[in-house]
This record gives sequence, structure tokens and C-alpha cells, in this order.
Amino acid sequence: MTSPTRNPLRAGLHMPRTPDPCALVVFGATGDLTARKLVPALYNLARERLLPMGFSVVGFARRDWSDEQFRAAMKDGVSKFSREPLQDEIWESFARDLHYVSSDFADPAGYRRLGERLTKQDQAHGAGGNRLFYLATQPTAYAEIAQNLKEAELSRVADGSWTRLVVEKPFGRDLESARKLDRSLGAVFRERQIFRIDHYLGKETVQNIIVFRFGNGIFEPIWNRRYVDNVQVSVGETVGVEGRGGYYEESGALRDMVQNHLMQVLALVAMEPVASFTGDAVRDEKAKVFHAIMPIEDIAGSTVRAQYTAGAVLGEQVPGYRQEPGVAPDSRIETYVALKLTVENWRWAGVPFYLRVGKRLPKRATEVAITFKTPPLQLFRQMGSEGPTPNLLVLRIQPDEGISLRFGAKVPGTRSDVRPVNMDFRYGTSFGVEPPEAYERLLLDAMLGDSTLFTRWDGVEAAWELLTPVLDAWASGVSPLRFYEAGSWGPDEARTLMERDGREWHRM
Amino acid sequence: MAPDVAAGIERLDDRAIAVDPGAIEGEFTKIWRATSGAASDESSIRLRVLNFVAFAYEAAGANRFREVMRALPQRYPCRGILAVAAPGQRQLDASIAAGFWRSSGGARHICSEEVQLVGGAAQEPELASAVLALLVPELPVVAWLMDAPDFGGRMSREILETADRAFFDTAGQVDTAAVFGHVLRAGAGREVELCDFAWGRIATWRELVAQFFDGDEGLRQLSKIQSIEIDGGGARLSSESLLLAGWLVSRLGLSLAYLAPSGGRIEATLYDGTRGVTLKVARGADGGAAPVREVRIRTGTALLSVGIHPESGHMHVREQREGGLSRRTVASPRGDDASAIAAALDDRADPTIYAEALGSALALLAAPAPDA
Repeated sequence: MTSPTRNPLRAGLHMPRTPDPCALVVFGATGDLTARKLVPALYNLARERLLPMGFSVVGFARRDWSDEQFRAAMKDGVSKFSREPLQDEIWESFARDLHYVSSDFADPAGYRRLGERLTKQDQAHGAGGNRLFYLATQPTAYAEIAQNLKEAELSRVADGSWTRLVVEKPFGRDLESARKLDRSLGAVFRERQIFRIDHYLGKETVQNIIVFRFGNGIFEPIWNRRYVDNVQVSVGETVGVEGRGGYYEESGALRDMVQNHLMQVLALVAMEPVASFTGDAVRDEKAKVFHAIMPIEDIAGSTVRAQYTAGAVLGEQVPGYRQEPGVAPDSRIETYVALKLTVENWRWAGVPFYLRVGKRLPKRATEVAITFKTPPLQLFRQMGSEGPTPNLLVLRIQPDEGISLRFGAKVPGTRSDVRPVNMDFRYGTSFGVEPPEAYERLLLDAMLGDSTLFTRWDGVEAAWELLTPVLDAWASGVSPLRFYEAGSWGPDEARTLMERDGREWHRM
Repeated sequence: MAPDVAAGIERLDDRAIAVDPGAIEGEFTKIWRATSGAASDESSIRLRVLNFVAFAYEAAGANRFREVMRALPQRYPCRGILAVAAPGQRQLDASIAAGFWRSSGGARHICSEEVQLVGGAAQEPELASAVLALLVPELPVVAWLMDAPDFGGRMSREILETADRAFFDTAGQVDTAAVFGHVLRAGAGREVELCDFAWGRIATWRELVAQFFDGDEGLRQLSKIQSIEIDGGGARLSSESLLLAGWLVSRLGLSLAYLAPSGGRIEATLYDGTRGVTLKVARGADGGAAPVREVRIRTGTALLSVGIHPESGHMHVREQREGGLSRRTVASPRGDDASAIAAALDDRADPTIYAEALGSALALLAAPAPDA
């Protein structure tokens, strides 16, 4: 990697450097992700001068498309999904470097053609053999693609160049399959070459958890077991499976959301300060958190799984999960999970972390709620006022990104009544700009070789080590599947989980 | 990269008021209370992240200030104060206005509080004192010298004492060398950070030129630079093209060996200890409004260029190396005042880079560098 300080013209500029010239190869390029997220993100990076000269994209998929057909499909995607409107002059310039190779993922001849195309690109643009392979395919194809890249010598790193692999979630469906996948990829790529995307980590507000904690002096001193009563990470979705019933039948909420997104957010909330904001420093601290989470012994008492039935969401009648297309009429897959974890380290011993995620809930929201302990002396209760409501700090990740702090204030008047009030910070009102899409940041980081916002194998493995026993226990009937009406906040058992601890879920 | 800002703020029209800071504060509080609960159950927030103080010596400055306040607070909610010391004005007048940002829930949040103070040339002390009294405590103060980078006027002196950053524009001045020298002198030993719009306008040019030399191959090209040509637009050599030339000369560590300034162009031979580099700065043959139109850098094995399309305003980048041509088109930032100010506020650049570029530009104009 080139040191940012070596180019004297970079001194004082906003960006320390742009990525090296490279080719991005997207496997599964005719899929939804490429047209909806990846190419619009690349277009915006190009538009904003963040891509290097000599950058090109090669789509690789089974469909029998030409370069022109690929460009037309991607133009349509950018027109519909880009955060900035498509401008023809910029698009034409960007599209010149979009290419397509049609091949089955299993066909060695396709990889040879890909190699020839990349060599041609290198010669034309001086890309220097730098490659970013992006697996936007079904996970079942990952191992095969990696192996074929190796056999076609496309994974080989030439002198002075780099090769990286970007992998979409899910990374395995349990500990064993994740390890098997890791071995397959590890046989071709080294860990430092593998960038596992968790798009939650590309969200501005998730990154702001770190800034909020370590960029301010006032929160970190109270961010521990002495002051914090409990932490709740909640993800509410109003949507159902949105036509992805087949996929969801193979995953469920624990695999789809908890194992990756919620665990990553939990780690950012719980981790220790880092000495530097670099890839391994942050990921080392997150790994320590994962290893400090105690295995869930009482799975029946500490987890709740449930599935939505028909109901009304946002004023509309919606079918139950089992009535969704692609879903078995007797499906046992969970669309809702609540669970309690404990992080047994010096900072958090005894503080419960509650996680919940559900589809077809009344509201779309992702939040981290930190409830603080009440003051040791109930001073105002003695004066006839109600007891204090605990201070609550809410980090809102979406929508209405922001932070709010609840504290007690005296009600004006002659009595000493205390009423909880909220102090709100909203991203939109303070910055007034549309944040870049998560994929823009993550693609740029992958090209720059910055792995800070990507998950490392030890973190993935630790999350599976923790959650695979839960999946196994559920499969054997421990913690029976519950049901909740679409449009409700989940099953009663989730409320009971909190009530047993004398707590309640934060109202989103 | 700093996003552009665009006008998107609802505005409460100007209303005249006595030049009384207490009354002005009271009126802003009333406006805030009146907006709460009007269209939503969401509470109305009063947003201010900085004090934005502008000075002008002509009444026309008010329109320019108002345009900025229509857009800038969308990105930087602020209290904006304009002080005009206009010739012929005999009394001190004040007016206020407010701007609102509407949330997705329908609430109106106050994001700009504007005060315009207009007095005569003799009333600079009163204007300065009113401005100081109206600054929101604890927030940074950004001053904008609208007419010229004059740091010596009564009003400027007093406000700059409390300002964190001062914006001005070295472009469009009659004697560029004198202005550069003046700014260089003013920057020395002052705590306020000086921000030149002309320097901001070439940020994209600097970024795109720097990109040519990222990476190992780029660094190899850097040591092979043979010539640099900068074409500017406008009636004479623009401040921007001179600063761009000065930046390249200073960052590349080149010293001046021979200089032939003549008739609105500069031709120089520079030396880096091992080789000579020719530099040409000229106005483009067909004029045009863009202060910089094209930069061409020739190395031993490549021709690198950045140019701006006169109609679309997009920037075209070309890299002709052995074996192939790479080119692309990228967006260029909007050139309006509000976008320039927002970009400069976003970008905490190293002021020494600017000062060094300014010093080299002065040398190219054959003007003696002022003593620090």
C-alpha cells in the first residue's frame, strides 16, 4: 500500500489519497444488489472524484449479456437508486469502464476469459494488476468461485499489486458451515485479503457510536457497570419477507440479523477504547467483547423466538409469515428474536445486554438504549414527588438518526415535582446533508485496503460459537416457537423476559 | 468531499427593529416560541452551530449576504450578522429575519437567525460594538470580509480579534500581487485562520492533480515532470491560476531559475536541484469565465491534464501514458458563495500550505515576498 505522505501534493488535502488503480470484479453482477447498491455507490464515488484513474468494473454472471446490455441495466439501476441524480456526461465517462463476462461460476473457461479481460484492462489503463473480487452471489457459490479464481491464477498477487475479496453476508449458517467456508476461502486468500461486509458498519450512525463514545469526554467515565443498568439493542422492521420467503426459510431472524448486525452494534457499544482508529485495533477490541460474552446457559429462559401471524401494520392488513410466498405453511422459522446476553469483563460484569429484532413490528427503528442506574438517594420521593425515572440515552441508528438523553427536571411551580424530559440531537437538523450510502464508504475502504469497518473471522466465529448452541437448542424444541400478531411489539414472552429482571423494553 | 449546499430554507421576511441587542434577542426568542407546535407535535429546535459575521462597505453586499443565508444554514445552522458601513448612510438601522428547516415530521426548526446592521462610514465603531453584543456565546465566530481582504479597517480589526476564521477573496482585485502580499503579511502572527475563497475554488483542481501522483507509478511520474501549463480565463491572470501555480511550485520544492512575466502571462524555468521544469501560466485564447480552464502536466512518459467543460461545468481528466489513454468526467463543486463557505468550513486545511502557495505565487509575479 502506498503511504499517504509520499505524494507531496496530498499534503493538506481532504483525502489522504485515492485508491490505487484497480479492477472491481462483481460475481453475480446481474443480481439485485449490483444494480441497487453497488453500481449506484460506484457512480457516486466516481462523480465525487473518489475513484482512481484506471478504475474499471467487470460484471461476471451466467446471463448472456453483452457489455452494452450490462451498461444499460446498470444505468437503469443508477437512475432509480442513486442518491444523486444521474448526469449523462458523468455516466458516459463512468460506463466506458463497465464490462461484462458471461459465464457459469463453475466454468473454468469463463475465468480464463475474465483473466484476459482484466489483462486487457490493465494494459489499457495501467491498473497494475490490482483486483477487488466482490461476491454478490448466493453464499453456496463462494467456495467454488474462490477455487476457480485460484485455478485461473487470478487470486495470485503480482509484485507490487494487491488482490482482495469482498464477501456479502451470511457467512455460514452455523459454526460448522462458517468454519468450512472460512477454510475454503482461506485456501485461496489470506485473512487480510478478505473483507466481510456488514453494511450496518457502513452506516454513518453506527460509526457515530465510536465517535460519540470516544470523541466526547463526558460519556466514557459513566459507560460501565457502576452507572449503567442495562443496554438494549433493538431493530424493528415493519416489512415482512418482501418476496424473499425462500431465503428467509433458510435463515430466520437470528442468522439474518442477530449473528451479524446486532452483534456488531453490541460490540461497538461495549468495546474498550482503541489506541488508534485502524482496522485491527478496532477489530481486536470487538473480538475481546465477543469472547467476553458468556455462553447462554439457560436458553429457554434467556431467549424468545417467535413468528408473526396476520395482522395490520401501518394501517394495512398483512398476511402471516406462513402465508408469504415461498414460505412453508408449517414453517418453524423465527421472524422475531429477543435474547439476553452478559458481557463478563471488568467494565460490564453484571450488566445485561438485551437484543431484539422482529419483522412486522409497528414501527421501523434501529436503536441502542442505555438505561442508567437511579441515584442512590430518592431525595424527591421524600418530598412527595414520584421517584426518578432512570436516565436513558438512546442512540437512534435509523430512521431519524440521532441521540436523545432523558433526564429529570423540576416542574415549574411551588412543589418539587420532577418530570422526565428529553434532550434531542438529530442528524438532519444539525448537518442537513444526505449521508453517503453505506456501500459507498465500504467499497472505497475495500479499495483502499482499510478493513476497520469489515468483520474479521475471529469475530464471526465467536458470534457463531455463541449463537449456534441457541440454534441447536431451538431445533430440539427448547424455547418453543411463539407467535405474535403482525403490528404488535412481539410475543408476550419477550415482555416476560424483561419483567423477570424487573425491567421493561424501551419503547421505540 | 464537502457536499454542495443549495437553498432549501423557508424564510421569514425581514422586519425592521431598533439597534438594540436586547430587543433583537427578545424578538428571536418570540419567533422561536411562535414556531413551536404550529404544524407538528414535534418540538421546534433552535439550531446554531456558529456565528457568521459579514462586513461590507456597499449596500449591495446585503443581497449577496441574503443569498448565502438562504443556503448555508442548511448545512451550518447559524446566526448570521451583516454589518454594512455604506457611504452616504447617516443613521444606524437594523432588521432581522429567520430561516426554518422543515423536518420530515413537519416541524419547523429555526436554522438561521439573521441580523442586518446598516450604518454610515463614520459609524464603524457602533456597528462593531453591536456585532460583538449579538454574537451567540460559546459558538465559533466566522468573519467574511465581503469587499476585499482588508484587515486594517476599524470594523474588521475589532471583529477579527474575536473571530476564529476569516473568509475573503483574493480574486477580482485590481492588483493581485499587492493583495497577495497584504494577505501574507496579515496572516503572519495572527491567531485567526485566513481562508481565501480563491484557494477554495481550486481545491478540486488540486485534488485531481494530486491524484495523478498517488501510488508508486504516480510517484515515479512526479520525479519526471518536465513542464506545467496552466490556462486561466477572465480578463487577466486570475488569482486562482496563480495560486495553483504557486501551490505546484511550493509543494514540488521547485525554485525559480528564470522568470519572464510579460503581457498577462508567466513563463518560468524552475529547478529542483536535479532538473529544470518549465512553467507557463496564461489566459486561455478564448477567454471564458472560469478562473482556471486547464492544467497540463507533461512528464517524460505521460501527458496529464485536467480541464473544465465550459458549458456543463464538469471536469475532464485525461492521462495519456505509454500504452494507453485513461479519461473520465467528474462533477465540479458549485461555485456560489454559500457552497464555497460550507466547503471551507468542512475542510480544516493546513494554513501553511496556502501560505507557501501564496509566497510562491508572489515570486512568480516577481513581487518581493513581504517580511514575515
